[in-house]
Amino acid sequence: MSTTLLEEVPPPRLTPIEGVKEGLQRRWARPGGRAYAVLRWTGATVFAVIVLGLVVSLLASSSQAFGHSGLSFLWSGTYNATKDIYPTGIFIIGTLITTAVAIILAVPIGVGTAAFLSELAPKWLAGPLSVLIDLIAAVPSIVVGLWGLLVLSPVFARHVEPFLKKIPGLEWFFHGPAYGPSMLLAGTVLAVMILPTIVALSRTALQGVANEDREAARALGATRWQVVRTAVVPGARTGIEAAVILAMGRALGETIAVAMVIGNNNALPHSLLAPGATLGSAIINNFGEANPGLDRSSIIGLVVVLLAITALVNVGGQLLLRRRLRAEGAVA
Amino acid sequence: MTIEITSNVETSPGGSPGQSTPGASPSPTAAVSLRGVNVSFGKHRVVRDVNLDLVRNRVTALVGPSGCGKTTILRAINRLHDDSGGKVTGQVLVGDLDVYARDTQAELVRSRVGMVFQRPNPFPTMSIFDNVVAGLRLNGVRSKTVLREAAESALHHAALWDLVKDRLHSPAVRLSGGQQQRLCIARALAVEPEVLLMDEPCSALDPIATAKIEELITHLATDVTIGLVTHNMFQATRVSDYTAFFLLGDDRATGELVEYGDTKTIFESPHDPRTRAYVSGEVG
Amino acid sequence: MSATVFPGGAGIPSDSGALADAIGARRELVRQSARRSLGRRRLVGRIAIGLCVVAVAISLAPLVALVAYTTSRGVKALSWSFLTHIPTPPGIPGGGISSAIVGSLIIIGLAVVMAVPIGTMCALFLVERRGRLAGALRFAADVLTGVPSIALGIFAYAVLVGPGSLIGHFSGLAGSFALAVLMLPIVVRASEAAMRTVPRDLWEAGLALGVRRSRVVRSVVLRGALPGLVTGNLLAVARAVGETAPLLFTVLGSTLLATNPLQPMGALSLTIYSNGTQPYPAAQEIAWGTAFVLLVLVLALSVVARVVSARLNRQAR
Repeated sequence: MSTTLLEEVPPPRLTPIEGVKEGLQRRWARPGGRAYAVLRWTGATVFAVIVLGLVVSLLASSSQAFGHSGLSFLWSGTYNATKDIYPTGIFIIGTLITTAVAIILAVPIGVGTAAFLSELAPKWLAGPLSVLIDLIAAVPSIVVGLWGLLVLSPVFARHVEPFLKKIPGLEWFFHGPAYGPSMLLAGTVLAVMILPTIVALSRTALQGVANEDREAARALGATRWQVVRTAVVPGARTGIEAAVILAMGRALGETIAVAMVIGNNNALPHSLLAPGATLGSAIINNFGEANPGLDRSSIIGLVVVLLAITALVNVGGQLLLRRRLRAEGAVA
Repeated sequence: MTIEITSNVETSPGGSPGQSTPGASPSPTAAVSLRGVNVSFGKHRVVRDVNLDLVRNRVTALVGPSGCGKTTILRAINRLHDDSGGKVTGQVLVGDLDVYARDTQAELVRSRVGMVFQRPNPFPTMSIFDNVVAGLRLNGVRSKTVLREAAESALHHAALWDLVKDRLHSPAVRLSGGQQQRLCIARALAVEPEVLLMDEPCSALDPIATAKIEELITHLATDVTIGLVTHNMFQATRVSDYTAFFLLGDDRATGELVEYGDTKTIFESPHDPRTRAYVSGEVG
Repeated sequence: MSATVFPGGAGIPSDSGALADAIGARRELVRQSARRSLGRRRLVGRIAIGLCVVAVAISLAPLVALVAYTTSRGVKALSWSFLTHIPTPPGIPGGGISSAIVGSLIIIGLAVVMAVPIGTMCALFLVERRGRLAGALRFAADVLTGVPSIALGIFAYAVLVGPGSLIGHFSGLAGSFALAVLMLPIVVRASEAAMRTVPRDLWEAGLALGVRRSRVVRSVVLRGALPGLVTGNLLAVARAVGETAPLLFTVLGSTLLATNPLQPMGALSLTIYSNGTQPYPAAQEIAWGTAFVLLVLVLALSVVARVVSARLNRQAR
């Protein structure tokens, strides 16, 4: 009996059936192989079934809506029994706007924080601060949403939004009554939620830059900040981009906190101060009351659209992250 | 076994090395002079009381077993310990510039003293051209003409021009290891430093690339003063005019300069028995 | 005792010719430029570093404010009876969140029972096998980590809750399933990473001794990877405990002290959502109290995960 250490030893050429039999015998005859192999394969299979099941069941449950409206579902949605409309296009726009607000607010702040923690702060300060930010990343979104609704919203209505309305040149973005709950508030709450992600991933990317690169710049007469700008940030760029994309994925897919602070209005928002709706908030607010049939199927259609958008973004982020890892592997 | 000194000793300054007491004023030929230099990290003193001159437009090799403070001393010359928590005492002069004087800016020291590291470290996201002129740009040089001229001159000096002149804007990381190291030399040369510090520049290279870098070092010494840390005794005999031999002191923790003289003397008739033992053990 | 020898005498070969002149001129130019620009370069640096400090302050402010505010409101709402009583009907003062606490614990417990074994087994598969299948699973896990949690709730609804599905009505178990799916990719990737830190030599040493492969895995790999496994699982639990969206349409929420996972149950996050979105101060008070309990639970889990990983790492060394 031969003990092979690796499973993937190329088997001798046999007919397919012989090959399978031989393979099974080889694998199962080995001591401790059988039960263990069954265990591993069970884990992998269950996992694969769940992933496929997720996709298949959502597609199946939404097929009625897509069958009813075809591709126009992606813009105008479907009517439900009481002639309420789920305007998919407006939800998509709301999702993109709130995410954009979150990214615009969180990226400069997050990357700046990461640069400070990784490059500029003394160790005794950087360590605890990083732990603090990592811990706060664990705060559940429902708690952030509660805070956004009960604390931040009145502050926005009374101070932030009236102030923004007075800024000349930005009237197009900020006009209309200052309610509090709005696209802007939703974007801000999202920014708070994705900040720790951006900080943590960017910090990892910055720390991944080889020390030799820093010294090269330093030895050429660079100041502290020039070292960061010429040697560190460009080297970490792909990693930071991946961080932003993954954070974007999180912002796109966040539902509960957004549903609490966006004001829930199924109309095209005319300003960032106007209430709106996102795919996620629309699902949360309408699924419970939806009637079985086309009505519910339409909302599951919204889930499918949301899933497709986030999957696209996340796959992009993962590919970027992998490319960076591979590039680093090639250099090392 | 006798050692062939193949370096350009015949062009070295006349006169035989004479004894000098520590604390003496720097010799007029010194581009860099260290007087009573100590480097410590926290409570640990890494090297103590080094008195050493790097003679202008000559190659001085810093040799000795690993961990005896050669690199530490080299990095003290351009204040690279400032950011890694190392504390330097004593006096370091680069030309007439007192490196550790209160009003001396570390950045200005470093723009006068180039450095080449163990592993080739071109900026991975930059093109060949951007790498070469990185130092100029960092020091505020904006003129395109100056950048272009400096890049060409530096690449010529690093014997890289003919190889890369048609692809100056391709990524630097596409070059081979030896070429990358020569690019790093060009990058250091582009700011026209008076002194070039090289920290085992060939340790990550194959023999052929090493030979090229060694040839380059002897050529460069007509314009710049070179301090070269090396493990390789043959390399020291091949390229250096002067050799400084470092060893751990009696406490087995702190490095010190044992002997300094022209390379031929150090390798053929060293004064110090410790040098003799090491040189014969390594080379003979 | 160090005797230092200095080479004496002069005799520097003087550079001559246009080349040397050009070099000298450029050297002077670079020097001047370096000197002249240093002030500006340092100023720019100081401003940039200042902006980074401001960024740190801005990113910490809302996060710290949030935690501080929740704590101050939550502590006021908290009492022994708040933790041990079920909610009172709307309008009647008093009442607590015992049904939500019990519900959350049962739901999470069942989710752990589902996700951890499957996840660990799947991680073993990924560690032992190379090639396209493993790559695809790994990629699926990475993408699944980013799937919006509401989608997992709707998935559980479609499979377990909706008409014609396996259970056919709202239940704690459906919520557990949704959370298990949420935890699964985290468990898989964290466990795989932890197992990979066990040196391959140790596997092979064990196998070369003729030890059964399953024993090698049990006694070498799982033990060696233990800190990483514990940390990964705890972080997955911490993430799942706070989730709301997967529970909304599966668990439904209940004000009764339900312990049968096949029936609707309460959950902390659902209590926060239903009370926090009401305009009545009494309901908001309950929301803050519950939010504080949830916050403490989640932060405690995260801290424990870190401490465990740090301690076990130190032992392993």
